[in-house]
Amino acid sequence: MFSLVIQAGIVVSLLVLGYLFGSFAERRHYKKIREREAKGTGLPVIASRYPPQDQRYHQHLVTGSTVVASDYFKNFLAGLVNIFGGRVTPFESLLDRARREAVLRMKDRARELGAAYVFNIKFDTTRIATGRLAAMEVLAYGTAMVPMDKALGLRSALSDDDVLQPGPVHAV
Amino acid sequence: MQYENRLPEEGINVTRVHPLKQFLLLVIGALVLVVSLVVVLQVSGGWLAKRVPFDFELKVIEELDIEFGHNKQHPQMVTYLNELAQRVAIHMSVPDDMRFQVHYNEDDVFNAFATIGGNLMFYKGLLEDMPDENALAMVMAHEIAHVLHRDPVGALGGGVASTLALLALTGGAGSSMAGSMLSAGSVTSIQFTRGMEEAADEEALAALNALYGHLNGTSALFEMFSDARGPSRRSEQVLERFLSTHPRDQDRVSAVAQRAQAEGWSVEGALTPLPEGFKDWL
Repeated sequence: MFSLVIQAGIVVSLLVLGYLFGSFAERRHYKKIREREAKGTGLPVIASRYPPQDQRYHQHLVTGSTVVASDYFKNFLAGLVNIFGGRVTPFESLLDRARREAVLRMKDRARELGAAYVFNIKFDTTRIATGRLAAMEVLAYGTAMVPMDKALGLRSALSDDDVLQPGPVHAV
Repeated sequence: MQYENRLPEEGINVTRVHPLKQFLLLVIGALVLVVSLVVVLQVSGGWLAKRVPFDFELKVIEELDIEFGHNKQHPQMVTYLNELAQRVAIHMSVPDDMRFQVHYNEDDVFNAFATIGGNLMFYKGLLEDMPDENALAMVMAHEIAHVLHRDPVGALGGGVASTLALLALTGGAGSSMAGSMLSAGSVTSIQFTRGMEEAADEEALAALNALYGHLNGTSALFEMFSDARGPSRRSEQVLERFLSTHPRDQDRVSAVAQRAQAEGWSVEGALTPLPEGFKDWL
């Protein structure tokens, strides 16, 4: 009986801690995401595979990736949803944040390269946790379109491993 | 072509629902589900277990190899209790294959209980307060009635069924856990429902009337239980009515009177004293 009370106590305190820390972190993260998104509207991220033809661009692969882990409260809530079915809402906000953060990181990289656009953006996601731990990687990647006139300064911004394709883009 | 990025619209990919509200709803739902599951399994498990042959109960108890009480140190008491059980059981419709084994425990506990395999346990704490044989026979008949109604195996079967289900739900259903459920602890601490207790009382009264020709001594027994429990406050009495598995002592006293009146049984009659040396056998 006593050990049962101890166990229940541990679960309840983990739930309270998970909820408090989790919701605090989520509010703070959303605030930062919205601020950065508002600032970053100058660099359009386009899903289309067909880039503009009016100018010559260097193309460069840009990626942004986030790894998110759930908190105890979200896991517990998701476990309960598992019984009854329905939307796993606790993970919706988690993954929404991860996707938006990944795009923002990708845009940061594109901006460093002096890109005018990022085209052909795609998302990829992988579960990287085992057992009860819930953690995922969300990867956003796309083609950064760096105008030719900016490409001269770009050489120094890129590392040796980066591949810069100097060709025209209208070969599609 | 013009390319522009609008700010992502909020609330499309995320359902707006307060996590605590959702949590509360789901927890209540899960609790209702688990409680109803346990109730259903308790009842159906008990119902099924009562259909297990009595032979099987004997085999289970043999397998568990439980040392009941302190029989070796008190041979006279054990002999007397078993002899009384035989005398009482004659007046109850005991099936041919059913056996009773009464054990004596020298712990100072004011209790007696019945468990699987027809094993009855009487504690010193109860026996030393017995005023006469009629009262003791009433307790004996009550415990025999439990075995007769297959209450111990029913309660144990229901308990095992619901515990297994809960273990499966919580992911703890290992063979070791399931195996340890039938232990000495679980076998000697079976809780019966109040309905089972009332049925056992009814059966016991009939047996007592057949044995002694009257019900004198039974009311005194329940009053003794009441005294042993000590005076309780009014609020506790209300709580007890709902929570206790046994009927309240006053209710049992009035049940004796009602039954006696309905059946035309006498509540007066000569009390049979306990055998000489009973106190020394304790």
